[in-house]
Amino acid sequence: MYNLELEKAIKTINKQKAKQVLIQLPDGLKQKSNDIVDLLEENTKARIFIWFGGTFGACDLPLGMDILNIDLVIQWGHNKFNKQLW
Amino acid sequence: MPRLLLLDAKYEKPIKLTNKLKTYLKKHKIKSVAIFASTQFTNLNDFISNLKKLKIKPLITKAKRTNDKLQILGCDCYNDSFQQPIIEKANLILYIGDGLFHPKALLLAQKNNKTKKPVLMFNPIADKLTLIDNKIINDQLKKAKRNLKFFLNAETIGILVTIKPGQQFLNQAIKLKEHLENQNKKAYIFIDNTLDINQLENYPFIQAWVNTACPRIGTDDITNINEPMINIREASNPIKALGALEDDSKNKKH
Repeated sequence: MYNLELEKAIKTINKQKAKQVLIQLPDGLKQKSNDIVDLLEENTKARIFIWFGGTFGACDLPLGMDILNIDLVIQWGHNKFNKQLW
Repeated sequence: MPRLLLLDAKYEKPIKLTNKLKTYLKKHKIKSVAIFASTQFTNLNDFISNLKKLKIKPLITKAKRTNDKLQILGCDCYNDSFQQPIIEKANLILYIGDGLFHPKALLLAQKNNKTKKPVLMFNPIADKLTLIDNKIINDQLKKAKRNLKFFLNAETIGILVTIKPGQQFLNQAIKLKEHLENQNKKAYIFIDNTLDINQLENYPFIQAWVNTACPRIGTDDITNINEPMINIREASNPIKALGALEDDSKNKKH
């Protein structure tokens, strides 16, 4: 029903030669996380991890990923966020 | 820092101006519509063309924090969140998507307007129409007014700062602390990742809290807690913020 642009995700992982990737999904898409991981791992050399908790938007990115050697974060369901004080 | 790829997950099917929606527009003699959508549903070219064929003027703006026209975020809950004041100009405010979080922002954005317009929610997947109005945010507004009064009288204030980069406003928190201390109040800055409101009870010496993270914490989550909390935007001029809410209460009584 929604265009997950999985080809774009695969292309980006391969182009960036990412070794470890974290994927973040909104609650409604979390049930597809296993299928997404399987597909990404089949088509790239990266190890894919799933963010367990909530993702409220592009304003809500996980921190500390460099400690875990995550090269790339892929977040679905959100768009570029222009930060400013509300 | 890792790199970031954002994928909108756009709805794949065409978003139609359905008969149900057309009937609603005709019945209510709608001449202009302010259109907002979540990012999944912003491919609206055909939808907008069909509105024009019905001689209904589509009003479109870009929220300042979004990347696309039409898109709305939950933090677009102030009347100056948008580049153009289309909410004030339109006969009808239409939200395309599902869930209450985004359309409620469109009600909150009108909290200081004299005329508060309802929001028609159109779920294009289910072809479902739901009208929401100010009644669903009344409890929030009452609590916000009460919290402002507590804040104005508080002598010890806690300022909450998140480390989430998109919502982190430590510099503004420091400025607010200095501002409050110039008024002979005491202020403490608390830092965390996701702000857990259950932690508030562990600091009983704080008389009022100021949230600097997502503004919906200070508008929506306050109904679930007893501790008074306001957003930093109101903290910078609490008397003006309270005045605007008091004016609104007076308007309702007459």
